[in-house]
Amino acid sequence: MSDYAADKVLDLKGLPCPMPVVKMSQEIGSVDVGQIIEVHTTDPGSLSDFPAWAETSGNEVLGSEQGEFIKIFIKRNN
Amino acid sequence: MEAKLKQELIETFGERLTKAAKMYLDNCSRCGLCIEACHAYASSPETRYTAVGRAQNIRRLYEEYFKKGKIAKKLNEAVELDDHWMEKVYETAYTCTGCRRCMTYCPFGIDTGVIQGIAKMLLITADQEPKTLTMLADMSIAKAKTIEKTKENFAAAAKNLEAEVLQRWRSEGGEEVVPLDVQDANVLYVALAGKHSIIPAAAIMNAAKEKWSLSYFEAVNFGAFVGNPAKTKEIAGRIIEEAKRLNIKEVVICECGTAYRVMKHMSGEKPFKVITFAELIARYVEQGRIKLDKSKLPAKVTYHDPCQIARQGGIYEQPRYVLGQLTDNFVEMTPNRQANWCCGGGGGLVAMGEKDFRMKSAKVKADQVKATGAEVLCTACENCHTQLSDLNEHYGLGVKVEYLSDLTAKALVQD
Ligand code: SF4
Ligand code: SF4
Repeated sequence: MSDYAADKVLDLKGLPCPMPVVKMSQEIGSVDVGQIIEVHTTDPGSLSDFPAWAETSGNEVLGSEQGEFIKIFIKRNN
Repeated sequence: MEAKLKQELIETFGERLTKAAKMYLDNCSRCGLCIEACHAYASSPETRYTAVGRAQNIRRLYEEYFKKGKIAKKLNEAVELDDHWMEKVYETAYTCTGCRRCMTYCPFGIDTGVIQGIAKMLLITADQEPKTLTMLADMSIAKAKTIEKTKENFAAAAKNLEAEVLQRWRSEGGEEVVPLDVQDANVLYVALAGKHSIIPAAAIMNAAKEKWSLSYFEAVNFGAFVGNPAKTKEIAGRIIEEAKRLNIKEVVICECGTAYRVMKHMSGEKPFKVITFAELIARYVEQGRIKLDKSKLPAKVTYHDPCQIARQGGIYEQPRYVLGQLTDNFVEMTPNRQANWCCGGGGGLVAMGEKDFRMKSAKVKADQVKATGAEVLCTACENCHTQLSDLNEHYGLGVKVEYLSDLTAKALVQD
C-alpha cells in the first residue's frame, strides 16, 4: 500500500528523454489543486528530475517508492 | 508590437552580431546551393524550408536595422520588425534542426546555426520561445540546488539496476556495479534519465574493467535547444563542477548528440577530456578490453550518423569500427557520414512534439533507410533514436531501431 492516495495514475515507464517530464507538465493541469498524481516510471533520473521540476513549477513531490518500478507522488499546488 | 519591446529586440539582435554572424548575414550570394541540402525542403519541397529562405527572415531585419543607405535597403528587401515578422523568426528558429547539412554545401560556409541562434534569442526576448524547452532547461538548472536532497533516492535507483546490468556482464564481486562518487575515476559517465541509457553502458564499462563513476546529472542540455547561452552554460556547469570535484580524467557523454556538442565544443577549457560513448566503446574493442560475439546480431544492419556527433563532431569511423565487430552484414545508407540526411528530430523538435512536421520534413530520411533494405537501424543518439522510431512507425519501414551501446552490451563475450 502506498502512503498517498492518488487521484490520477500516470504511466510513464520506458519513455525516451525528455518525455516523462514533458508529459507530467502537460498532465498536472488535469487534476485539481491539492490533488495527487502518482507517476510510474523506470527512469532513475526521474527521482532527481521531478523534484527539480516541482521546484520550478511550484508543485510538490510528496515522496517516492522503489520496487519493480519507481512511483513518485506529486501534489498540484497551483 | 510595442515600441519598447521592438527596441529591446533590436538591441538583442545587435548583441548577437559577432564578426562571424555579420559575415554570414553579409555574404550570401543567393546561389541556391543549400536549397536541396535541407531535408525539410527535399521532403516537402517548400521554399520556406530552405536554409537561404530561413536566413532571409533574419537577414532582412539586419538590412533594416544594421545597414545604411535607403536604396541598398530597398534592393535587399529590408523589413520592419512587427508581430507578423516574429512569426517568420519563429519559423527560422523552429523548422530547422540545426543539423548544418546546408553549411557543407554553401560556398561561403554560411552557418545556419548562427543565424538560427539570433532567431532563437529574439524569441526568448519577446517571450515567444517554446515554453516546453524553457521548462526543461529551468528544471535542469534547479537540479543543481535540489540534487543534495535527491541524491540518496537516485543512488538507490542506480543500485536497483544492478540485476539488469549483471545480466549483460557478471561482475567478479567486490566492485560496485553502478558506481557513484568515485574519486579520481578515469571516466565520469553522464547518462540520460532513462535506465536504457545506463544499463548497457555500465555493463560495457564493467566488462572493460574501467574505473568509472555515474554522474548525478543528465547529459542533455535544453538551454542549447532553446538557444539561451547563459542557461546552456549553467546546465553544463553542473557536470563540469562534478567532474572537477571527483578529479575525473575523461567525461564520457552518453548517446546524446547535443549533450556531446555542448560539453565538447561549447564549454570552453576544461581540466578533463570529453568524448562520446561510441568513442569509448571503439577504444575498448581496439585495446582488446572487450570482445564481441557476431552471432548475436544476425540481421542486416545500417547506421544513422547523428548530426551533432558526426557532421559537427567528426565522429564517423568509431561507430562503424564497433559495428564491424558486431556484424558481417553491415550496409551503409546513401548518402552517409558528412552528407547523411538529418533524422529531422533535432533542435528541440522531439521535445516540443511537432509530430506532423517531423514526419513530413523527414520523408527523405525514411526513403533513405528503406533503400538500404536493412532490418536493424543503429544510431548513437537518443533524440535520433526517438525520431527514427517515429519515422519507422509512420512510414512502415519495418526496421528495429537500436542503440549502438545496447547492441554492444548484448554481444559482450564473457569467458
Ligand atoms: S541546418 Fe539542417 S535543418 Fe537547418 S536549414 Fe540547414 S539543412 Fe535545413
Ligand atoms: S549556399 Fe550559401 S551563398 Fe548560396 S544561397 Fe545558400 S546560404 Fe546563400
